[in-house]
Amino acid sequence: MDIKTRYKIETMDLEPDRFEIFAPSAHQFEWTRRELLALLGAGVLYVVSAQDADAQQPERIGLRLHVAPTGVVTVLTGKVDIGQGLRTLLTQAAAEELRLTPEKVRVQTCDTAVTPDDGGTWASLTTPQTVPAVRMAAAALREAGFHAESMQRTVAASVTLTAPKDWKVLGTSLPPVSGRDIVTGRQKYGADVRVEGMLHGKVLRAPSHHAALVKADGSAAEKVTGVRVVRNGTLAGVVAGDDRTASEALRLLKAEWKETPLPAQAEVFAHLRKTAEAPVFVRGSRYPAVLEQGSVVEAMKGAVRRHEATYTAEYIAHVALDCRSAIAEWDGDKLTVHCGTQAPQVVRRELAEAFRIPVNNVRLIVSNIGAGFGSRHRGECELEAAALARAVGKPVRLAWSREDEFLAGYFRPAAVVDVKTALDASQRVVGWDFHNYNSGASGLAVPYAIANSYCGFHKSDSPLRQGSYRSLAAVANTFARESHMDEVAHLTGSDPVEYRLRHIEDTRLRHVVEAGARRFGWEKGRRGMGVACTIEKDARLALFAEVEEPIRVRRLLLLFDCGAVLNPDNLRNQLTGALIQGMGGALFESVRHDRRQVLSLRLSRYRLPRMADLPEIEVQLVDRREVAPTGAGEAGITLVAPALANAWFSFKGERRRGLPLFTAGEPKR
Amino acid sequence: MNNPVSVVVNGAKRSIVVGQGITLLDVLRDQLDLTGAKYGCGEGQCGACTVLVEGKAVRSCLAAAESVAGKKVETVEGLEREGRLHPLQAAFLEKSAFQCGYCTPGFLMAAEALLRRVPKPAEAEIRRELNGNICRCGTYPRIVEAVRMAAGVGKR
Repeated sequence: MDIKTRYKIETMDLEPDRFEIFAPSAHQFEWTRRELLALLGAGVLYVVSAQDADAQQPERIGLRLHVAPTGVVTVLTGKVDIGQGLRTLLTQAAAEELRLTPEKVRVQTCDTAVTPDDGGTWASLTTPQTVPAVRMAAAALREAGFHAESMQRTVAASVTLTAPKDWKVLGTSLPPVSGRDIVTGRQKYGADVRVEGMLHGKVLRAPSHHAALVKADGSAAEKVTGVRVVRNGTLAGVVAGDDRTASEALRLLKAEWKETPLPAQAEVFAHLRKTAEAPVFVRGSRYPAVLEQGSVVEAMKGAVRRHEATYTAEYIAHVALDCRSAIAEWDGDKLTVHCGTQAPQVVRRELAEAFRIPVNNVRLIVSNIGAGFGSRHRGECELEAAALARAVGKPVRLAWSREDEFLAGYFRPAAVVDVKTALDASQRVVGWDFHNYNSGASGLAVPYAIANSYCGFHKSDSPLRQGSYRSLAAVANTFARESHMDEVAHLTGSDPVEYRLRHIEDTRLRHVVEAGARRFGWEKGRRGMGVACTIEKDARLALFAEVEEPIRVRRLLLLFDCGAVLNPDNLRNQLTGALIQGMGGALFESVRHDRRQVLSLRLSRYRLPRMADLPEIEVQLVDRREVAPTGAGEAGITLVAPALANAWFSFKGERRRGLPLFTAGEPKR
Repeated sequence: MNNPVSVVVNGAKRSIVVGQGITLLDVLRDQLDLTGAKYGCGEGQCGACTVLVEGKAVRSCLAAAESVAGKKVETVEGLEREGRLHPLQAAFLEKSAFQCGYCTPGFLMAAEALLRRVPKPAEAEIRRELNGNICRCGTYPRIVEAVRMAAGVGKR
């Protein structure tokens, strides 16, 4: 049947949504319609166009909503569900504006042949960007006269979103829409996907973190029945009919490598300093590398008292339980990859560049991911699977092992942070000089009213392969800043809560600190209590911690204000999880390596937070309906390390300035 | 080496191929298309692959396939009966005791093994028993609550 008779396409002009990182693909409608029909069945497809505010950019096309004859509305999104509650939130967004019950809404996550480019699933942007985009599209459909029963519609020029006070679905704790699939084991992840006729691949890992493949000898491996050895540039691998045979063949594949040594672990911080570049300000960047106010040089000169200290953070691993996997399938010069990536458009471009094909020839069908935390922003596994598949001319599945994850993935950057403060006669901080080496510029901004400040991010040569991580550098930067504020408070004989409040003008930040102190039972001079606060991605939060010996966290209280709360229970779940994940990096997580290779290659060698580590945790939400919500998946992780370091100082009188604060390496249970 | 043997999976007799290097997890996922049990670490550290063998929690990534010959294996897919959720599943759902859900099948089966042995466990017992399972999203407090709810030991 001719697809055009099955779909009516409606176009609407809307306010711009502001995902601006990657240009969307231009034309792919022929492919799209065919795939859409397969995916969604017959119905009316709503194409929502959004233009840049200055209208200089060409019109962007996004297929956003599909209405089936049954009245079920499917929201199309280029984002991915990584456990953050994307499906549930977008269901709420569409149901709210369409005046539908949530049961009438489905969410189709990223399939690049079908869904719009919503940018990567990163940086807590689903709530501030994708939710508004979906709400606008749904509201346009509603205003255009959409009725689930009659399917009448006309095109609307502008839209009015439902006022927060009138919300019926948003702002409520709609349970996770995938819940039943999850508890029955039916939910599919990357590793559960199968394709007819697929073969199984394995890739040879180098003995050294930095190694170039010189020579591969596949003669022994190729003697195993049905095995093909693949050599392509830097990659050597095998493909077989089943996973076990591929593993067997891989053991027989021999190679020579040219290895470049790593600095010893103890030398990493010195190396980062030694190779650092001066901070470079780039206009319009999301995380500016230089933030400057007043004159920090003058402030230092005129200071009555100065304090300086250096803070560090080691490399840590994301360890999403779901290891990367990909199934690649070539049809001539067209490539389809089933995978689990947080950044489909980035990976698509990586694949297009690697195989020298147009980006529109690459289709990514993205599965649910058994969590991301920033680990899936690059297409390592997808590239390998595509190379293997191209060589053998059949679909190839490549499923990484846990060891592959540690050997060929990337880590949260190590950090060195220098902080210097100048105090005036009233003991107030009037100068703030802050330098992050290697880990990044997010979380550089100081939430305190300080007249003179310089915050800079210095790029360095990272010994280990590094990349994104939940909240990026904000963990290291907030650890340094909040530890330092605590040090200065103690130096001046002040109470850490009072001292912070003296420097806070933002009323929402004041509120979470004050309300948190009351709720926690904060007492001046009481042993074992610590506090930290921040403005992270526009959310205001304060964390209070209590510790006891032997290095045990007794309780954590988080006060959190991200504006309007779209789903309170999901937000609490996210924040509690971020606190627990934060405890790992704060207390004991660290990637060990020698001069050759990463040594933490298994979970028995890399300790993660477990039930036995659990403190009492309380999360208090400040719901501000009138304030547009910011994202919240990441911010909660940023305060754990400083609150614990500060509590430890209060308990022991000992200042710890390096993450992890305590045991590194081997699990201790 | 690749010998078919029989095993009872979720109450049904199944024929599986066992052999050198084939684990119970491989059998479930690749031969029986039961993908609820997950690979997470391959060394019994994370518990995502937990299933029951003769009613006891077993790390299926470490169990050789031949070790279950003639035995009863239960997986997450067998918990639901005629469309009715098992009390643990209902409790996990009620408490939203998951985020990405990847570890959930393993936690459910580990908790089920505990409740069969100790129908009314103390909270400390739940934590101890489930300490071998990792939830990287950090939903531990909800998991403890859900297991208590399923066991009918209520809230603290």
